Amino acid sequence: MNFIASHYLTLILFFPALAAVIMLFLPRDENKLLRWFAFGASLVPFVLSLMVWVNFNADQPGFQFEESYVWYEAIGSSLHLGVDGLSLTMVLLTTLLTPLAILASFSITDRVKPYMMLFLFLETGMLGVFMALDLLIFFVFWEVGLVPMYFLINQWGSANRDYASLKFMIYTMGGSLGLLLAIQMLGVLFGTFDLVSLYRQWNSLTADRVLLGMSVHTVKTIAFWAFVIAFAVKVPLWPFHTWLPDAHTEAPTAGSMLLAGVLLKLGAYGFLRLILPLYPVEAKMFAGALAFLAVAAIVFGAFAAYGQTDFKRLVAYSSVNHMGFVVLGIAAAGLASGTTDAAIALNGAILQMFNHGLSAAGMFFLVGVIYERTHTRNLEEFGGLFPLVPVYGGILIFTSMASLGLPGLNGFVSEFLVVRGAFPILTVYTAISMLGLLFTGAYILKGIKKVLHGPVNEHWAHGEHKLTEISTREILVMAPLMALILWIGIWPAWILNVINKAVVALF
Amino acid sequence: MVPLSWYLILSAGLFSIGLFGVLTRRNAVAILLGVELMLNSVNVNLAAFWRYGDVTQMAGQVFAIIVFAVAAAEVAVGLALVISVYRKRNTVIADDIDLMKW
Amino acid sequence: MTTETLIWLIPLPPILAFFLIVLFTNKSKALSHTIGVGAAALSWLASMVVFFRAIGVEHLGEHPFESSLNWLPTGDTFLKIGVLIDPVGAAVLFFVSITIFMIFLYSVGYHNFGQPKGDHDVAGLPPHGATVEEHGRKHVVPSIEPMYSRFFAFLGLFAFGMYTLVVSDNLLTLFVGWEIMGLCSYLLIGFWYGKPSARNAAIKAFMTTRVGDVFMLLGIAFLYWATGTLSFREIFTEETLHILGTTMTPIFGLSAAGLIALLLFIGTVGKSAQWPLHVWLPDAMEGPTPVSAMIHAATMVSAGVYAVIRMFPLLTTDFNGHELTTAMSVVAFIGAFTALFAATIAVAQNDIKRVLAYSTISQLGFMIAALGIGAYVAAVFHLITHAFFKALLFLGSGSVIHGMEHGVLHTGNHETDPQNMFNMGGLRNKMPITFWTFLIGGFALSGFPILTAGFWSKDEILADAFGHGHMAVFITLAVAAFMTAFYTMRQITLTFLGEPRTKEAEHAQETPWTMTAPLVVLAFFAVTYGWVGIPEHFPLFGGLVPNWFHEFVGGTLAEHPEALEFNVVPLLTSLFVALGGLFFGWLAYRNVQTPAEDKFQIPVLKNKWYFDEAYDFLFVKPAYWFSETFVSAWMDKGVIDGILHTFGKVTQFLGDIIRNYFDLPVINRFFGDGTADATQWVGRNLRPIQTGRVQQYFMLALVIFIVVGAALYYLLLA
Repeated sequence: MNFIASHYLTLILFFPALAAVIMLFLPRDENKLLRWFAFGASLVPFVLSLMVWVNFNADQPGFQFEESYVWYEAIGSSLHLGVDGLSLTMVLLTTLLTPLAILASFSITDRVKPYMMLFLFLETGMLGVFMALDLLIFFVFWEVGLVPMYFLINQWGSANRDYASLKFMIYTMGGSLGLLLAIQMLGVLFGTFDLVSLYRQWNSLTADRVLLGMSVHTVKTIAFWAFVIAFAVKVPLWPFHTWLPDAHTEAPTAGSMLLAGVLLKLGAYGFLRLILPLYPVEAKMFAGALAFLAVAAIVFGAFAAYGQTDFKRLVAYSSVNHMGFVVLGIAAAGLASGTTDAAIALNGAILQMFNHGLSAAGMFFLVGVIYERTHTRNLEEFGGLFPLVPVYGGILIFTSMASLGLPGLNGFVSEFLVVRGAFPILTVYTAISMLGLLFTGAYILKGIKKVLHGPVNEHWAHGEHKLTEISTREILVMAPLMALILWIGIWPAWILNVINKAVVALF
Repeated sequence: MVPLSWYLILSAGLFSIGLFGVLTRRNAVAILLGVELMLNSVNVNLAAFWRYGDVTQMAGQVFAIIVFAVAAAEVAVGLALVISVYRKRNTVIADDIDLMKW
Repeated sequence: MTTETLIWLIPLPPILAFFLIVLFTNKSKALSHTIGVGAAALSWLASMVVFFRAIGVEHLGEHPFESSLNWLPTGDTFLKIGVLIDPVGAAVLFFVSITIFMIFLYSVGYHNFGQPKGDHDVAGLPPHGATVEEHGRKHVVPSIEPMYSRFFAFLGLFAFGMYTLVVSDNLLTLFVGWEIMGLCSYLLIGFWYGKPSARNAAIKAFMTTRVGDVFMLLGIAFLYWATGTLSFREIFTEETLHILGTTMTPIFGLSAAGLIALLLFIGTVGKSAQWPLHVWLPDAMEGPTPVSAMIHAATMVSAGVYAVIRMFPLLTTDFNGHELTTAMSVVAFIGAFTALFAATIAVAQNDIKRVLAYSTISQLGFMIAALGIGAYVAAVFHLITHAFFKALLFLGSGSVIHGMEHGVLHTGNHETDPQNMFNMGGLRNKMPITFWTFLIGGFALSGFPILTAGFWSKDEILADAFGHGHMAVFITLAVAAFMTAFYTMRQITLTFLGEPRTKEAEHAQETPWTMTAPLVVLAFFAVTYGWVGIPEHFPLFGGLVPNWFHEFVGGTLAEHPEALEFNVVPLLTSLFVALGGLFFGWLAYRNVQTPAEDKFQIPVLKNKWYFDEAYDFLFVKPAYWFSETFVSAWMDKGVIDGILHTFGKVTQFLGDIIRNYFDLPVINRFFGDGTADATQWVGRNLRPIQTGRVQQYFMLALVIFIVVGAALYYLLLA
């Protein structure tokens, strides 16, 4: 027990990868065994992160459960892990969504072994980013998460998968090029990649040190922009968002769940972990531009979602719309850091990340459920499915409402906090973002209208195309999501408490 | 006591016989036998030099034991290969096994 | 149990019923409605207990029942939520709980509980009737609603929303209840989602109210920021209001208080279907009738007015009693305009429920106008009386439609629209209970003097407007009131009086007791509720019973509103518009048989002043264009992806150049192929010595070894 207690983070981080390696030795054709093994293996980090959550002391500022191992001593990089309220929330989201995504992929029959292995590797990659307290490690895991997702889209995706996976890869790689450069420069400048000591040294470094003929100030500014672009692509911020609808749409169901649920959060997390604490001045200077892009994402995302005829694309664009609120909160916090308004906006932004993880994963899964049965995502080909699949319909409406931000469900709490926090700081932008909120309603209702309501489409009512009701396994995937959605909607304090204290301590 | 040179002559003789076998026999098993003979002639050399050199230094004996182990391993692998080849191609003649030849 | 605990518990039974029905008892119709009605009864009971405890407390306004807890941590403070029952809350709770309970009960009959399953009924469409054999004869009877259980679940959720809204002590939970009702109205209007019209109406309702809601959300955010709290009691302290009233905003020279009040008011405009966001409400008639009653009378639209009532101190900050502030003028204008505007449309409608829908909009306009001119008590009073008689009218119209459907099933002629008033006539003999209760409701709506509740509340609004010199509002409302009486009488005449105009009307039948009992109960309140608020100075009746309502509800405000001096002008106006309207309505329609004979079928009124068409042209179509063509196709796929693809193309082009002009000729041909060719040549020539004979190699090795050994030997030793 002592070993576990002192190595929580390493265990959570590497257990999935280890399990993936073990899977290598399992027989290739035993689909059932492979699925259950992967599912079981992904449950372990979840249980461990729950234990971390329970043992986490929210009142203590700074990082907890820190672990540090020698990794690359020559250049001053070490495997330094640790969590605070911000990253712990994201870790919990990741370890929760991965088992669900794996459970959701039980219907995959094609090359189950590599598929499941990729998922486990993906989990390690995502967790690493959230836990890393070392910039180089951060970058390594940032890229590690990319590769499995590329193959998941490229190998198990739908018709247009080559285009989508390539676009996804190149877009993100393009973003992370600058990231690596910036990290290197900071590393050389400071002699360490360790975030904690970077935080400490950041402002004490004298301006007369020179790197490649550039002053400290220049280096910092270059790093700032490199960070911003890398994270903006990942969030994704308008106008860097066009990889998202393609990648989401073509990815296999579970892939979209994690893509929307967790991978998008990496970008926002980068903003919160690196940009706001390291660049308060620049963040303040460019907060207006950031807010503009955020509002553009909110408004255009909502309109674009409304304009889709592909159900999955509609949901994909909804992610652009929702993540816009996260960035709006971040921009507001950047502009007025230290105030109560900023703290509220950040609370909202972080909670929105968590909430969007739940609702977007749920929405993508539900799209997947119906796609699996009908092999089409075209909204025009559905219609009137509600009487055929009442349980599915109920779940879809519930999740859609969470996505719409209905009070009483989770999305409202975070959107309200963002709006409340951003309103006094970025009044006009917040007011314009309301247009996006309005059209959030429009596209969600459009989705429900085209799929569930209206006259029954006889094609799905009889014969070989008869639509079957959502299965118990699929309900089990949705059940934890729905329970959390409702729970956070009614009693958000349990999670917001942790977030709030982290925000107060950090910014 | 028998002088050292006698041992060396014995050893050289064994070695030459072995080498002759290796070079001239067409049967793979016989080639293996020749190799064994050569290895053992070395062992004779090693033992003899130890005995006539510094007796407290065990290096010669240790080398001899290692050579035994190597020889045993070699025979095991070699014979296994030969048997496997025989099963597949029904011959143990080294020249007939020329699949990899250009 | 303490009253506070009880208040917390009021909203719970309906939401529990919702979850129970959805998760467990969906299959059993009887169990589901038992749970639903039982939950409504429990909440009603709890509300009554709270209400009677509340009226027993002296100075409830200063010391209301309240209790709160920390809900959200925000920075170093907490956002609290809690419950509050002050006089207004108690009064509203009273009518809400009764009407909700009645509507639950009514739904049992309306959805034909106890009838057989339909022959061709499917979920998502209204039931079509079932064929049964009785005494050797086949005939068609109404069939039970296929989604019977679901209906009660939705009603439960709706009731939860309304109770939450009423007992809230803060804007946030008020907004939560508000939006949950919005969702339920969407689900319930679209209850028969199989009909495209119902589906579209549901979306229209949700979207139109959402327009208001996002402004309201802004208002809430503003208020929360400005005051640091959302709790009514903390906002409405003199100090806070003063600060809000004196802080100026750059928008239209409004004070912060005025701006917040207006932002919140836009929410109400959406929810209470005021002009210009009124368009959803008539379409919402696609829902089952109990839903219409629930949405249009008892709860949801009242919620809009209730929100303004709650925000009244904010709205009237800086109000000196005579000069309306900017915010108040806007509210008063919208209210009065809507009252008249909706009444004009109601005159030309033929659908029995649509008339009521427009009349609801118009009556809500009365309340909003009253609030706009500062007539607080009158607005609350009219809100409550209206809820009773309008619920009564809606349920009555449902009963009429139900009776007509019976006739339709009997004749088998499904062409006949059971909601069109021109297909009715003479129903007073067929459906006596419905007729008499409908008559009471109609008279209350028209403001029939002395007897009905509608008279007292409407008269009070008119008197207030006149008494404080808001003549424009007074005249507008008076005209609207005249038209109200007129179209009400038109409706009653066309529906119940005269002779049946169709076969279906001849075979209409009175509805079961579960439907008529709520009518009777509501009719009782539609008459008697007016008597609790008879003005003190009213001739003859004034002072016979104390003006309890004024005393009680007025106590909510920090400054107790004064009783109005009696003036004969508004009274005479009231009498004239009510009686005159009724008389002319009867006069004009007593002999009308077909729509062609109806002189008021003016196209512009019939087509609702073309608002739907205008909105379609101005907002809906551009929104489609903007999202489909501009954002999706042009901007994302065209510009942004275009830039990306150009990048891709340029990169590929560069790659091709490098490949064709450097890689292929230089590296491949020269270095690559050249090296390979040379190597190959050497290899080919060396090949003969590779015999593949190990023993040959060995021999060679031996020879070389000996030669080299010998050479070394001689070289080194010699």
